[in-house]
Amino acid sequence: MATIEMTAVRKEFGTTVALADLHLRVESGELVALLGPSGCGKTTALRLLAGFERPDAGRILVDDQDVTTVPPKDRRFGMVFQEYSLFPNLTARQNVEFGLKVRRTGAKEIAATVDRLLEVTRLETHASKFPHQMSGGQKQRVALARAIATEPRLLLLDEPLSALDAQVREHLREEIRRLQQEVGVTTVFVTHDQHEAMAVADRVAVMRDGVLEQIDPPRTLWSRPATAFVAGFVGTVNRLSATRRAAAWHVLGGPVTVADEGLSADAIGTGRATAVVRPEQLEVRALTPHEAAGSAPARVRSVSFLGAFTRVVLTHPGEDMITADVLGADAQDLRTGDPVAVSVRSTAGAVVLQ
Amino acid sequence: MGPRMSAAGLTTPGRPSPAGRRRRGTTGAELARWGFLLALGLFFLLPQLAMARFAFQNIPVATLTLGTLTDSWSLRRLGEALTEPGLWEAAQVSVTLAVLAIVLNLALLLPLAVLAEIRAPRLRPVLTGVTLLPWVIPPIALVVGVAATFRTIAPWFLSSTLSLVPFYALWAMPFTYRALDAGLRAINARTLVEAAQSLGASMPTVLLRVIVPNMSASIVAASGLTAATVLGEFAFASLLLKETLPTYLVVYQRQAPQAGMALALALLLLTTLALGAVVQLLRRRGLGVTTTGI
Repeated sequence: MATIEMTAVRKEFGTTVALADLHLRVESGELVALLGPSGCGKTTALRLLAGFERPDAGRILVDDQDVTTVPPKDRRFGMVFQEYSLFPNLTARQNVEFGLKVRRTGAKEIAATVDRLLEVTRLETHASKFPHQMSGGQKQRVALARAIATEPRLLLLDEPLSALDAQVREHLREEIRRLQQEVGVTTVFVTHDQHEAMAVADRVAVMRDGVLEQIDPPRTLWSRPATAFVAGFVGTVNRLSATRRAAAWHVLGGPVTVADEGLSADAIGTGRATAVVRPEQLEVRALTPHEAAGSAPARVRSVSFLGAFTRVVLTHPGEDMITADVLGADAQDLRTGDPVAVSVRSTAGAVVLQ
Repeated sequence: MGPRMSAAGLTTPGRPSPAGRRRRGTTGAELARWGFLLALGLFFLLPQLAMARFAFQNIPVATLTLGTLTDSWSLRRLGEALTEPGLWEAAQVSVTLAVLAIVLNLALLLPLAVLAEIRAPRLRPVLTGVTLLPWVIPPIALVVGVAATFRTIAPWFLSSTLSLVPFYALWAMPFTYRALDAGLRAINARTLVEAAQSLGASMPTVLLRVIVPNMSASIVAASGLTAATVLGEFAFASLLLKETLPTYLVVYQRQAPQAGMALALALLLLTTLALGAVVQLLRRRGLGVTTTGI
């Protein structure tokens, strides 16, 4: 286990700035997910950590020791790649053994370690199979076992689940988290899937255009996004107008509880702000023709049944499009074009203002 | 249900249905395909058959007609050719040259192709172009240029039969480089190298334990192509006045045309069988031979 720190790291490819002044600290035993869209610099950050790229500026420290120029083979990091990267000429067992043999570990220790890892990753029955004889999930489990066999100081996971189908992905995601906690290895997990990041990470670092926008535990990221980009990237959000009347902030005509942080002096001064409201914080109620008469109510634009909830998209006269997630039977009678009343739930918790 | 509402749907009597048209189209395409394959087969097989008849039928050449197709086949002339001591000397020289050309080519091109793939993928198109140069320069120009240079700085070099090795290595380079390059791309070498390095492997270890074993099919393909080029190369050997298997065959065929032809056919068969056996062996090990890009 080790503490990893990237300080003022910059990396350019030609005229493209892949990373601009990145500061990132990963505590010992922690799992941090680097989350962001394609081209945000998350993979570059991971490759810099692995030693496959050299930063143009800045330093990479492992337990306060500078490893910026240390070649990959001497860093004692483990890495799992998106496309498995198992050695095709070796069986699952031989793949797991590879790093230990390279490090000239004793035969008995190799056998014991590999047996234990094959058991932990539930690969005992596949030990003598070659990569082309295994499924994607099995291959990635071998890659994971291979990466942790050498007891790395840092485990780097480069979109390890993106080549797998949904069911296997979810299962393996849990397995990665279990293994990481069992072994206690400091881990950096790169992904563009916010659900994956939220599910496995102790903290999620959201990146955009080579810049770290926010790094926080998943709950904080969800409930208190630091920027509009983070709010939009981590789940769906509605950006609604908020006005201050008397002592309370109002959204969609009703008072809301407001999170204190992040409100600009300008918003406080003018009494106008943008509220970041998640679909599940909204409540939708169908209006009777009598209730709808004489007003310009919100109307249902589309209804999508998504299993546990129904996603309803509304057109609202005072706002742009509004997305609301309605639970169970509440959405059963909603049809496209129906007039509805939409408001922030009283139990929704604090709304973030920007 | 009237005739226009038949089971096939809205069909008009007298006109073929779309399915029928498709079937007819398919049959036509199949016929064309088989016809093409047959023509191609005949193009390759007829000359071989003519050669075989000339070499192995023990009748006067003037009587080689369709009516005598099955008459007097014999391996006697091949036996005569195989007992010539000059054949074995020339074969030994050619095999030695082929082995040395393979070793030289792989020693030069394998590290180069790996480095280009891992460190400088942008150089790959340049290398692809450069490795084609041997085919742009005619052998006579190459021999004259190189011979003139070596006659002044190292005259002993051209007196040895082994002086053919660099020429052959150069001549086979377009095949070898492409086979190796295709193999490297097929195994996604860059990621394999990074995976091995992250596990603590040094570059020589990566090459010997990861890249070479996973490229065995491409290396065999490259070696096979180099060997085939060397065993069939005539121009360089003839221009440098060396006796190799091809130059021996040309001379021997002038002395004994039918025995020479029998020998040529036997060599063709032997080479085909040897390459086929290697490909089968690799397939059994799950390694496909690739020569993509050639």
